[in-house]
Amino acid sequence: MSTSTPALGADRRVSHGLARALRSPSLRLIGRRLAAAIPVLWGVTLLTFLVLNIMPGSAAQQLLGADATPEQVRQLEAELNLDQPAWVRYWEWLQGVVTGDLGNSIASGQPVTTIIGQRLPVSVELVLCAIIVSLAFTVPLALMAARRPNGIVDRLSMVLSMTGLSIANYVFALVLVVVFAVIFPVLPAIGFVPLSDGLLGNLRSLILPAIAIGFPLFCFYTRFLRGDLVEQMRGEDYVVTAKAKGVGPWRVLIRHAFRNSLFGLLTIVGLNLGTLIGATVIIEQIFALPGIGQELLQAINNRDAVVVQAIVLLLAVVVVVANLITDLLYAVLDPRIRYGQRSA
Amino acid sequence: MSTYGAPHSAAASVSGDGSRPSPSTTMPLLEVRDLWVRFRQGDRQVWAVNGLSYELFGGQTLAIIGESGSGKTVSSRALMGLLPETATVTGSARFDGEELLGLSDQEMRQHRGADLAMVFQDPTRSLNPTMRVGNQITEAIRTHLPLDRRAARERAIELLRLVRLPSPRQRFFEYPHQLSGGMRQRVMIAIALAADPKLLIADEATSSLDVTTQAQIMELLLDLQGQLGMALIMISHDLGLAASFADEVIVMYAGRAVERASTHQLFAHVRMPYTEALLEAIPRIERPSHSPLPVTPGRPPDLTTLPVGCPFEPRCSRARDTCRETSPPFEEQEPGHWWACWYPCDDGGSG
Amino acid sequence: MASVPPEAPERPMLETAGAAAVSPRRRRGWVRSLDVAIPAGVLALVLGACFLWPIVASIPPPTGGDVLESNLPPLSPGHVLGTDPVGNDILSRLLHGGQASIQIAVAVQGIGLVLGGSLGAFAAYVGGILDAVIMRCLDVLIAFPSLVLALAIAQSLGPSKVNTIWALTFFSIPAIARISRAATLRLREQPFMVAARLSGTKMWRVLVRHIAPNILPQLVTFGLLGMGIIIILEGALSFLGLGVPPPAPSWGNMIFIGQQSISAYPRLVLMPCAFLFVTVLSFNLLGEALRARWSAQ
Ligand SMILES: Nc1ncnc2c1ncn2[C@@H]1O[C@H](COP(=O)(O)OP(=O)(O)O)[C@@H](O)[C@H]1O
Ligand SMILES: [Mg+2]
Repeated sequence: MSTSTPALGADRRVSHGLARALRSPSLRLIGRRLAAAIPVLWGVTLLTFLVLNIMPGSAAQQLLGADATPEQVRQLEAELNLDQPAWVRYWEWLQGVVTGDLGNSIASGQPVTTIIGQRLPVSVELVLCAIIVSLAFTVPLALMAARRPNGIVDRLSMVLSMTGLSIANYVFALVLVVVFAVIFPVLPAIGFVPLSDGLLGNLRSLILPAIAIGFPLFCFYTRFLRGDLVEQMRGEDYVVTAKAKGVGPWRVLIRHAFRNSLFGLLTIVGLNLGTLIGATVIIEQIFALPGIGQELLQAINNRDAVVVQAIVLLLAVVVVVANLITDLLYAVLDPRIRYGQRSA
Repeated sequence: MSTYGAPHSAAASVSGDGSRPSPSTTMPLLEVRDLWVRFRQGDRQVWAVNGLSYELFGGQTLAIIGESGSGKTVSSRALMGLLPETATVTGSARFDGEELLGLSDQEMRQHRGADLAMVFQDPTRSLNPTMRVGNQITEAIRTHLPLDRRAARERAIELLRLVRLPSPRQRFFEYPHQLSGGMRQRVMIAIALAADPKLLIADEATSSLDVTTQAQIMELLLDLQGQLGMALIMISHDLGLAASFADEVIVMYAGRAVERASTHQLFAHVRMPYTEALLEAIPRIERPSHSPLPVTPGRPPDLTTLPVGCPFEPRCSRARDTCRETSPPFEEQEPGHWWACWYPCDDGGSG
Repeated sequence: MASVPPEAPERPMLETAGAAAVSPRRRRGWVRSLDVAIPAGVLALVLGACFLWPIVASIPPPTGGDVLESNLPPLSPGHVLGTDPVGNDILSRLLHGGQASIQIAVAVQGIGLVLGGSLGAFAAYVGGILDAVIMRCLDVLIAFPSLVLALAIAQSLGPSKVNTIWALTFFSIPAIARISRAATLRLREQPFMVAARLSGTKMWRVLVRHIAPNILPQLVTFGLLGMGIIIILEGALSFLGLGVPPPAPSWGNMIFIGQQSISAYPRLVLMPCAFLFVTVLSFNLLGEALRARWSAQ
């Protein structure tokens, strides 16, 4: 597991860095992290299975409606393989997962991989838009705030980020809808225009949901970055060195403090991906976006255990992989790790 | 007053012009008068430097000695305007006739790195870990000199050669983590020399290094001082260091100068009991150097209140009632020898 | 020896410093207590309104309203904030909904504090394999997209107030357990703890007598900080139809129901949104201020 070499870009410097990183202890660390991730992932599937199957209620009943006879229910259960003991079903499902077969939806009969293939791109586009837009606002604001701690911009940014962290995303989303779709009807309140129907329409349909996800994110990032920058400007010796050279304050902030904060920011973005998934469930529901979150909610309400399990596993994998990629990027970008610690 | 320490002959300057204005014998390069620094800390004040005065002539070496916490770092950073915003600095510090204290940050920046430069204690933390060392030097060069990238790089490599970093051309492209502690400190020195400063402040520049490296760096600093004809303030907690290198010594305690004299005079006649204690604590071979100095029993005073009497009194073996009641003035009590003590040591301090 | 009297300038400087120190300290203290007082005051107001107002004042019931009185605007007689599409008094629903949201949050954090706190302390205290296994299980819970888990549990159990609480404890237990474990680990090496261990005191006794009183203040602060998140999550569950089931009100399901007529009556959404926001903001500000005090000490 630890020797898998992801092919990252053809850029010579990157691959050179990677080659060095491969020999460095940090890669072994990543290998260990990956090995540790597998039991966690397995635990996640087990937990999902327990929650979905041990609890009362049945998918067949749900599918047939409340007035189905017990006979009908039993027949459908047999058809759907639901009459077998839970552990047998789990074992079969697990075997399927290992061979890449995620099974068919109980509700629609479609292969789960097909469903995910249709739904995932929407969510990925949404989340990427949200992250990129929020970072684009975070960096200048945090820099201005950190330039003069306790100055006007700083205080405003603190108020803003406290607000953003206290506002539930569904609350913020609905306020956006009221303002931009009800009072000033300038943007679509619901619906999704696929990319194939034109970039402009696609982006228009994503603006409000992306802001709804991105604003709390922006607040979170800003709070972190501002804090990290201020701490560095106050406490780090290399900042004093830079000042002692006669370098101007903006340059110290950007070339020295921000450069070092970048790694922390990257980690925060990676680690926070898990929380974003919860946000997509709600936001996709509000804006009627056909993404993975909406599918998940539908599947949960249908007791479509196969789909829920697959999506939960997918999301858990995304979280684990995001953390790993964060580590790997760190290894490629941060000279401290890139070249290993050579103590002479 | 300045009968000792004639300016070293300027042998070769990096920039090629060896003719810097020859140090005036009448006007000091740096004249610090009644420097006070206090910090706001929550509801309290920390009185870090309390009325420090000294002057330094071009090309000379001044050693500022004292236990950790005696205000050496704070007093020297105050000169460069490098203290945090919680600090209040009063007094006067004239550099080349120009007042430094009270300059705006913008004006101060013209001096930082160009006229006064500083080398810090911990080279590992003082270099930016994410920047190639070469770029950290060229940044200092291009801040003050009108050189293009290429010329700045050439100068940086020359500086690296000057500080005797092996294979400078290759090191230019490396990151601080690829260098040893001694090499990092050499890079720090190269950064400090980038714009030919007239005064170099070395704040415990060797304290975090091992003994062998320490000696090398010390030697390098003094060589460079001679070559470039700059003045040097050497800050250390090690009086032995001062004994071997400095022209003049100031001993600090609790944020004030307690004894000041030319090195020769000081070691011939120690007056202040604190200096005597420091002298007895000079590292001997059997003691690991830079273990915290067990100077004399007790700890430096709490700086959040100013003592009424002599600040050293609680730890002083010679203390009497006078010492508790009034603080002794710091005055030139013999020609060229200042001290602050009611009952100074008699002659016979170890030479 | 020069017997010069002590320098004159030092005295005045000391005095001016003393005089200067008095007024900022007083002002700073006053300002500093505001950062706790304001959010605490707002919270007291919200709590008082939700829990006391319906008792002392007579307000219409939150459910079973008269359809003939539907969609009354705010400031209508008998209905200060108007009525919703089925004729229920909105103010009454807001206050009762607040009761539900806050009760759930308190219960969730309370259970988290007891179960998570003891789990973490136990894991840290026994150490070894048991500790590793417990921490791995908590890792699983934390790696799990948490809202998804709560949704799945709430759906499996069926929507109800009690089930919402259990679903949300899956958030609070692992989070608090981690804090508790870290705090206990720090305590473990303290001299009095080592002494207690060496003298053969029984484990539960050490946990109850020595560890619990020491880590509790920290855990309670953390729990308070988490109240806002739990209120938001409860709202999310109710909003997605898996929390407090209608017609009983909660802020979340009021927002959900209001969303269906958002273009005609935005206030049905905005009013519970405002209550939710103000409450969560107050909890966050209070938690933040308390944490700042902690770290200052
Ligand atoms: N930013 C600060 N805030 C409060 N007190 C400080 C600050 N910086 C230094 N001090 C205090 O000033 C005193 C002198 O410190 P310093 O000059 O660093 O001593 P040293 O002689 O070891 O270099 C110490 O007591 C230290 O605690
Ligand atoms: Mg120091």
